[in-house]
Amino acid sequence: MKNTKLLWGLAALVAAGSILVAADHIDAPSSMGTTADIADFFAFEPSEGSDNTVFVVDVQSDVLPDLAYGTFDEDILTEINIDVDGDLVEDYVIQATPRNGRMYFFFGTAVQTGLISEVLTDNPLGDVAISATTAVVEITDNGVKLFAGPRQDPFFFDFFQFNAVKGGMAPEGFLPAGEAENTFAGANTMSIAVEIPNNLLGTPTAQNALGLSVYKTWVTTNRKQ
Amino acid sequence: MKLTKIINRSLVLLALVAITACSNDDNPIDPVAMATCTDGVMNGDETGVDCGGSCIPCDMGQEPDFSGSYAQADHMGRPGINTVLGFDMDGQTSVKDAQNVTTPAEMAATFQAGYEARLEQYHDVYAGLLGLQPEDVDYENNILGLSATNLTTYLAADVLDVAADFPTTYFNPGTDYDGDGRILVPDGDEIGLTGRALQDDVIDVSLILLFGGNEGTRFSGQDVDFDGIQDLPRLTSDGVGLTATIGSEFPFVGNPQ
Repeated sequence: MKNTKLLWGLAALVAAGSILVAADHIDAPSSMGTTADIADFFAFEPSEGSDNTVFVVDVQSDVLPDLAYGTFDEDILTEINIDVDGDLVEDYVIQATPRNGRMYFFFGTAVQTGLISEVLTDNPLGDVAISATTAVVEITDNGVKLFAGPRQDPFFFDFFQFNAVKGGMAPEGFLPAGEAENTFAGANTMSIAVEIPNNLLGTPTAQNALGLSVYKTWVTTNRKQ
Repeated sequence: MKLTKIINRSLVLLALVAITACSNDDNPIDPVAMATCTDGVMNGDETGVDCGGSCIPCDMGQEPDFSGSYAQADHMGRPGINTVLGFDMDGQTSVKDAQNVTTPAEMAATFQAGYEARLEQYHDVYAGLLGLQPEDVDYENNILGLSATNLTTYLAADVLDVAADFPTTYFNPGTDYDGDGRILVPDGDEIGLTGRALQDDVIDVSLILLFGGNEGTRFSGQDVDFDGIQDLPRLTSDGVGLTATIGSEFPFVGNPQ
């Protein structure tokens, strides 16, 4: 199927307010397509055995026409929340918000939990120029790497077929490899990335479903009031 | 005649512009570059939005203003939770909007029942397509041994687990470190649910957990009677893999295209 045809088909679904799905792209009526729309969230070891953790937050996407894409919004504060002890309340927060072409980062103990936040102005982590095409990376004195700018959207999903499956229009289910198509191939997103030494986060005491020690993490976008 | 007049007037105007421009020859700021200094985007030779390069220095203004309070607009932990299991009914308050402004500690109590109902509805869709009654095709405990209630309770608290001291894998059905033949059955020796790498096929993992049953392959497009025709739907893989460029250096994801 031609990509253009697919996009217009999906655009019609957006316009109709129909079911839509992705990692978190366009996930709910109030946030979909806005500058606050979280597209995706990743958390991983940069290399096996590393003592650092990388967080990547994608906001906005050009996977469909007419979505906000291309500029970070100065009214949006992005927060990476880290729960160390497993009570599902954040213990640390990494904040990022843009001003004048730079992304400013703050990091500290989460003094405010809940749905309203203020910038931790007493705890700046560093700042980095918002990249154009080539990535500009800043490394802080305490070994934190910072990045903000447009990147390829690494999510992959045959989103079109999923809507057919979900709508009961695909008795065969998903398509076999070779026939299936990654809807996100060629899409870009606005990415914020932080690589942080684990010793700044402390030793996790929370556990996952397999009993392994983990941080419980999530990302939020927050709009200035 | 008229055309000649217009051309002549244009020439006069051009001459006036040239004279005006000449009178500013001692001004080092390029008027063309200046034109971009107030357009609200970083362009020309600017190093920030409307500053740096030929515009005013970026550090000339006050420190950036970070005052004020910010209200939560969107939330994400694991991929696809709100989009796959969230469910909006016409004319009702949006459950998907509500999920985005609920704290993780309150999510399981708020959303688990709705997610479990949604999981069953997906199975009902296929009961219908297979010519069966909705009650004939129900969720079956998955590869982790989780019941529908336990799975949706786990997923409803929408956070991403990430380990400090284990290799990252969102869930790797092939990982069996001790070689005991048990794949991620939680007997304490397997590794999984330790984060989410850029390469992880989170959609296939989610589909296996939701539709794969206790072997992970319950609905995977089987030809049950070997007549060359698929008898069961393919619900445990969407058939696509990573297409974006992933590098080995921070920030890892390839340049925009």
